[in-house]
Amino acid sequence: MNLSGLAWRNIWRRKRRTGITAISIGFGVFLAVTSSGIGDYSYTNMINASAQMGWGHISIEAPGYYQSPALDKHINQVGAIQQMLQNTPGVESNYVRIMGQGMFASAHKSVGGAFLAIDPNTETGAHNLFLRSLEEGKLFAANSSGVVVGRGMAQKLKLRLGKKLVYTTTDKKGEIVSEIARVTGIFTTGVKEVDSAFVLLPINAVRHTIGYKSDEASLVAVMIEDQRYTTKVLASVRERLDSESGQNNLLTQNREILSWRETQSEIAGLISLDRSSNYISQILIGLLISAGILNTLLMSVLERTREFGVMMAVGMAPHSLFFLVIIESTWLAFLGLAVGILITIPWYFYLNRIGIDMSGAMGDDYTAGGVLIDPVLRLYLYPETIVAILSVVFLLTLLSGLYPAWRAGRIPPVESLKAM
Amino acid sequence: MAPAEKKVIISIQQVSKSYQQGKVKVNAVNDLSLDIEEGEFTALCGPSGSGKTTLLNMIGGLDLPTEGVIKLELQELAQLSRMALSHLRRDRIGFVFQAYNLIPVMTAYENAEFVLALQGMPKAQRRERVMSILKQVGLQGLESRRPDEMSGGQQQRVAIARAIVTHPAVVLADEPTANVDSENAEALLDLMEELNQREGITFIFSTHDPRVMKRARRLVYLRDGQLDPAA
Ligand SMILES: Nc1ncnc2c1ncn2[C@@H]1O[C@H](COP(=O)(O)OP(=O)(O)OP(=O)(O)O)[C@@H](O)[C@H]1O
Ligand SMILES: [Mg+2]
Repeated sequence: MNLSGLAWRNIWRRKRRTGITAISIGFGVFLAVTSSGIGDYSYTNMINASAQMGWGHISIEAPGYYQSPALDKHINQVGAIQQMLQNTPGVESNYVRIMGQGMFASAHKSVGGAFLAIDPNTETGAHNLFLRSLEEGKLFAANSSGVVVGRGMAQKLKLRLGKKLVYTTTDKKGEIVSEIARVTGIFTTGVKEVDSAFVLLPINAVRHTIGYKSDEASLVAVMIEDQRYTTKVLASVRERLDSESGQNNLLTQNREILSWRETQSEIAGLISLDRSSNYISQILIGLLISAGILNTLLMSVLERTREFGVMMAVGMAPHSLFFLVIIESTWLAFLGLAVGILITIPWYFYLNRIGIDMSGAMGDDYTAGGVLIDPVLRLYLYPETIVAILSVVFLLTLLSGLYPAWRAGRIPPVESLKAM
Repeated sequence: MAPAEKKVIISIQQVSKSYQQGKVKVNAVNDLSLDIEEGEFTALCGPSGSGKTTLLNMIGGLDLPTEGVIKLELQELAQLSRMALSHLRRDRIGFVFQAYNLIPVMTAYENAEFVLALQGMPKAQRRERVMSILKQVGLQGLESRRPDEMSGGQQQRVAIARAIVTHPAVVLADEPTANVDSENAEALLDLMEELNQREGITFIFSTHDPRVMKRARRLVYLRDGQLDPAA
């Protein structure tokens, strides 16, 4: 019989002990999948939701703009930038926008807030949270002087569809300017701060008001296909803009290319905090499980001291005993992974497809860091996370087997033979 | 007709083995010299604690002497590496212990086959060899029994089968009959004697049972780790 066959039989000598160990490894897989799955799913959602609030995953803007978004900072030749972005790998779409602060007044009252000026012909709800949250009315036409306001602001200013709104802001040169717009729609995102302080305006009208030329804007917001590749896509966007700007003698002015990590630093901080607490709990789970495996294997080695002595006496090399125990821990690892996969698959698919409604536990604030989050707990795992979990659990099991295996190969044969 | 010159296969020269037990030094074997020739059927006898097990373990390369030289087929054991000793035990020495000789998860067949597999012998050849040895030791039909499905005597037969299956130079048996009843003890001795005479395998076994001593062709008496001149 070969070593792996022998190892396989050996692990079944204590069925209950092996079973309990396999279940605990499996439970580790289960916990790791659950916490990583919540992370993969909710981080992706938060990042995408936040990217859809104006800045995109990547934004191309004037230096210092994101720290204080005033309208004297702008980029130009946005048409050329858009053209270059068109076939940059990983880029899904891009939008030219003007974002600024202002005062918004009705006949009753005025409030401070911010506006996002967009091109109604290119923007869709798929990439723009405000459009997706349109509750009443519709989006303005491109060359109109319409405005879409948040529900909170509409209530404060007693606005209804068709009513007039005056917005006041500073123009390109820092002069105060104002303009009248008519409410064409009202949105409700569910994020209070946003609904009470945000309006959408047509970009052409805003350009006219603040004195931007038709190829000037605050930023170009870039949406990418998969947020995980932000860094990579950002690098290729930068490379492309840099090289083609030189060739075409375009865009000589300063500009910055930023990712959501900078423009939405609150979300980024929240995610990295959550992620590190996740890591810590996963490390703890891993340690607990390793201790269990170590204990099982060590016990099984120590109770076979005599047997190992006989095997060495008849000519088995000490290093073969080491490998025997390593193979035993490999079998245990496979067994544990199999149990883990079996118990985790139904759980994963349930939470992936159906999820658990947590709205009861969350009260009525479904936001975190100013971004809407899904009140239904769901799991989603990226393939590389699955591979990572399975290989970490497998490696931990193997590592836990090292010490017992070393012990097995190290006891001198005479001493082993004396143990009964 | 002069008897053919017998070859010395084990040479023990002024060997001592001492253990430190707390502050006391125990001399398990004390300045002992002994030659064993090919084909011997020798019993090491002596009271408990006289050093029988210690001596057998040193001959088998499981333990090394504190002083003196042990040679097996002209090789000085103390000069071999751990790996070389392991190979020597695998290829040239058969061991039979008093009890718990067998690997519990393996059948009689697999236990007997184990050392051949360690040697890397091809499967078909192993099968032929193991089947014939198991038949020789009277275990035909019990090949697929696990140790816990066999009597003590049957288990010792498997151990003997495993010890001789590689055609070793010597079989070292430490009280091989101590855990079986006298009827089985006689049968095991018959088997060992037969293997010794027919195959010419050298046997050294330890015992304190006078009935077993009677069956040996040479008796080596030990007392306090030395040859007992009085016996
Ligand atoms: N590892 C050890 N540490 C300390 N003393 C030991 C050790 N092994 C053996 N001894 C001592 O060496 C002496 C010889 O022991 P050994 O086991 O060789 O005797 P034995 O003749 O085989 O006895 P028995 O008939 O009881 O098996 C005894 O006094 C024993 O206590
Ligand atoms: Mg003894």
